Amino acid sequence: MKFTTVRKLTIGLTAALTFGTAFGASAETLRVGMECTYAPFNYRTADGELTGYDVDVAKGVAEIIGADLEYVCQQWDGMIPALLANKFDLIVASMSITNSRLEKIDFSSPYRDSVGRLVGKSGMEKPLFDAADKPIPENFAGLRIGLERASTYESWFNAILPDADIVLYDGSEPLYLDLVNGRVDAIMTNPMKAHLRFLAKEEGSGFEFVSPAIAEVEYFGTGVGIGLRQGQSELKASLDTAIKKLINDGKLTEYALKYFPFPIHNEEWGDS
Amino acid sequence: MSFDFTLIIDAVPKILLGIGLTFQLLVVSAVLGLVLAIGIMLMRISGKWYLSWPAQIYIYIFRGTPILVQIFIVYYGFPQLEFIRESFIWPLFRDPFGCAIVALTLNTGAYVSEILRGGVMGVDRGILEAGTALGLSVRQRFIHLTSPIAIRLALPAYGNDVISLLKSTALASTITLADMTGIARTIVAQTFAPYEIFISLAIIYMILTWILQKSLGRVERYLGRYMQK
Amino acid sequence: MDILVGWWDDYFWGSVVVAQVFVCSLILMIIFGLIGAAAKLSDNFIAQKLANGYTIVFRGTPEILVILLLYFGSAIALTSIAQIFNPDIKFFDVPPFWAGTIAIALIVGSYATETFRGAFLGVNPGSIEAARALGMSNLQTFIYVRVPEMWRLALPAFGNHMLSLVKDTALISIIGLNETLFVAKQAIGTTGEPFIMYIVVGLIYLGFSTIITLSVMGLERFGQRHLVSSR
Repeated sequence: MKFTTVRKLTIGLTAALTFGTAFGASAETLRVGMECTYAPFNYRTADGELTGYDVDVAKGVAEIIGADLEYVCQQWDGMIPALLANKFDLIVASMSITNSRLEKIDFSSPYRDSVGRLVGKSGMEKPLFDAADKPIPENFAGLRIGLERASTYESWFNAILPDADIVLYDGSEPLYLDLVNGRVDAIMTNPMKAHLRFLAKEEGSGFEFVSPAIAEVEYFGTGVGIGLRQGQSELKASLDTAIKKLINDGKLTEYALKYFPFPIHNEEWGDS
Repeated sequence: MSFDFTLIIDAVPKILLGIGLTFQLLVVSAVLGLVLAIGIMLMRISGKWYLSWPAQIYIYIFRGTPILVQIFIVYYGFPQLEFIRESFIWPLFRDPFGCAIVALTLNTGAYVSEILRGGVMGVDRGILEAGTALGLSVRQRFIHLTSPIAIRLALPAYGNDVISLLKSTALASTITLADMTGIARTIVAQTFAPYEIFISLAIIYMILTWILQKSLGRVERYLGRYMQK
Repeated sequence: MDILVGWWDDYFWGSVVVAQVFVCSLILMIIFGLIGAAAKLSDNFIAQKLANGYTIVFRGTPEILVILLLYFGSAIALTSIAQIFNPDIKFFDVPPFWAGTIAIALIVGSYATETFRGAFLGVNPGSIEAARALGMSNLQTFIYVRVPEMWRLALPAFGNHMLSLVKDTALISIIGLNETLFVAKQAIGTTGEPFIMYIVVGLIYLGFSTIITLSVMGLERFGQRHLVSSR
């Protein structure tokens, strides 16, 4: 009957799909997850190449530990779930080492500073932060703040200014676009990127940093590190060694200077 | 693999907070879309080329491109254009809700206009001829004869489109709106548990779809009550 | 417009990915739809219930959710299944291409189930009787009588399903598949020009839709070539 033929098709298909897509990670190839839309840390240029500080660090580490790299693009808010679901083996996406993340995944030692800063229109009537660099909650009333979902900036805001009017975005580029067209009044983002991609350019005229640099360890962690699944102590150790070597050899400075006028890591991390 | 039920019990009430926004998106775009669709359909069947062609082009564009792309063009693309930023309709586009409504309305309008057209074409010619014989004008024929029958014929397909619209509202989460999907994605980002949360969300949408389908079935039966053998 | 220079080839490869997803999901969609229709039309109670469940689940869930679920959940589910066969397999990964392709094939397949079911029911019973009278087996009747007739009836709605498949491909960009919409996102990350980039994506998809619509029109005429009265 037609059902039998069709039934055979079903079984054949299921079998084919189950075994046809078998993927095993060899020890030689490490899959790296990153956003691919986060200039200048990990982004794609017009020739289709992935470049950026994170990409350089990943390549540098891979060279030292002798592994091949495969890149997987992943939207930011799904980064850790994807790692846990084995979509890739490492996260090299400017992810800060925070306590809440450490509950679920491991991190290598840091390779970049982690800090946040608010960017808003120049000449705001009310200062958002007082002289002691503490935020003034009342002055945030009526302001819409743009943040990236699942970011350290979101955690900081949820903890320190829970009553603020927050708008959550899927990526970082839309933050700047919406700041310019007035959908949000201020955004909290990485100051290095903000300076380079925005404030230093024409579209950023009329905007400025409206907060001091915020680097509270509780929300921003000790720095930005490579994320990996828990229970892989060997891999973690080799990553740590590789990063220290990159720092001591001056490679991290070299990478940073490609994009920024200053290095963006802490030299102390190298000596220990 | 562990299925964390406590997570679900915790998350579902938060997700349901978004149901208001989901419904607002659904109802407003459905109503506006229907109005738009009637207009477009009338233009399409008018027989005048300067009305029919723009309608056809509009339908072609909005049925031929993905709704997600339409949403992105309206939300991210339009503000780039000077004349939109400076005009009086800027407050509409400034608000992500406004953008979502615009995109959803334009999209559903194109589909529904074709559905309505199918209904209108399906009306038996004999009935229209009888109307002419009785001396009814074109407009009277359309309002009293064509419309009731066309509505009944179009209802199943229209019902499907309303359900599609409900599913499309989930895409509003990509432009910062905190509808059910948006809230769910935020929870997933905080708890790192996509499986449990997304399955709960899917079940909620399925229940909503089921309710919609039952209601539409009732309306269909009511409209066709004199047709039952 | 010169912003686009350099991105054209990326968009081209993105379009190739769209075409690949389309072909693979089309084949799967037809298979899922036929299986579902057969199950609904069969006398087997369980098959009917399963098929009903399939349509309810996949017609009632937003496409983006199905894609996300298959992407994140498949690894867990398939690993468990695979471990039944081969306990050595540590994990199982479904890359975005397949997670997305299977997801949209399942979704549109659930609509196709209804289309095929209606079309099978619409096959002229007289033709079936004639085939029986001629001594054709069930399989022969299926291949030579039911399927050709069913295709002709299903074609218009099937054309819509194909259009849905192409457009749903854009949703797979959410899980990182490098098709045209994701190319646009990356391009915006570098150039900051959303309007042009998204319009290009829209035009590319419009192109795909046009090709499909024209093909379906051609197929419809081909399928009706023996019906003089339909001209």
